[in-house]
Amino acid sequence: MTETETRAAGDATTAIDPKLLEILVCPLTKGRLDYDREKQELISRQAKLAYPIRDGIPIMLPEEARPLD
Amino acid sequence: MTTELDNAGIEKAYARWAPVYDLVFDAVMATGRREGVAAAERCGPRILDVGAGTGLEFECFSPASEVTAVDLSEAMLRRAQARVRERRLSAVRGVLVMDATRLAFPDAVFDAVLLPYVLTTVPDPDATLDEAMRVVRPGGEIVLVNHVGAETGPLAKIEAWLARRTRDIGWRPEFPWARIGDWIESRPQAHLLERRALSPMGLFTLVRIARRAATNGGG
Repeated sequence: MTETETRAAGDATTAIDPKLLEILVCPLTKGRLDYDREKQELISRQAKLAYPIRDGIPIMLPEEARPLD
Repeated sequence: MTTELDNAGIEKAYARWAPVYDLVFDAVMATGRREGVAAAERCGPRILDVGAGTGLEFECFSPASEVTAVDLSEAMLRRAQARVRERRLSAVRGVLVMDATRLAFPDAVFDAVLLPYVLTTVPDPDATLDEAMRVVRPGGEIVLVNHVGAETGPLAKIEAWLARRTRDIGWRPEFPWARIGDWIESRPQAHLLERRALSPMGLFTLVRIARRAATNGGG
């Protein structure tokens, strides 16, 4: 069932489970994250960091994140 | 001499190990993975698998579970991701790169946190346990499967020698029970439920630690 759901969202192998996205927070501030689907990034406005999602794997490390200005 | 591990060293060691890791460790550690998963599943469906590596335990999970798997090594998680895809392991909802001491989850969102053969590999076991305690719900459990070091005898000597070579293999063979026991004693929320030696030969130990429900004025 979840399989067809994720397929509908695009590439079944790289789509992130929406329930998982809902609970993810910034590892530094524990504040909310905004999902940028196009850039495949999770954005922490508080920490001013964008965490990359590489081929379906979110990289939740501040040292790998892109600083925002 | 230093036997502490740092994250950069661990990432490097595992990038090197990833291709052969399954072959070497799968068979020996299978019992612990199975038992660890079973203990975690008894707490409820929302399970966090910390240090999942290539996902060797994924197949033990019931399809009713909702597993989130994290590891510091992206190289290992690529294999875990391939495993989920190829074997259609619907229990695993996602794999993410995280530092076990700085998880990207709010407090108390998991029924159980499973650490299969992880505590011996992390630079800071106390901080790792603290973080696991933060994200598990009151009444939930931290489930550890670990080699707990021999404190005396010939095995202790071998382990001490191996410990000096820790940097090459990415884990610490010398790991006395006190590291876990002291942590439990110093954390009012933590309560030891079970400590059980596993076959073969009691080489590995299953440990279940409950997070106590909040009490009035409790810490």
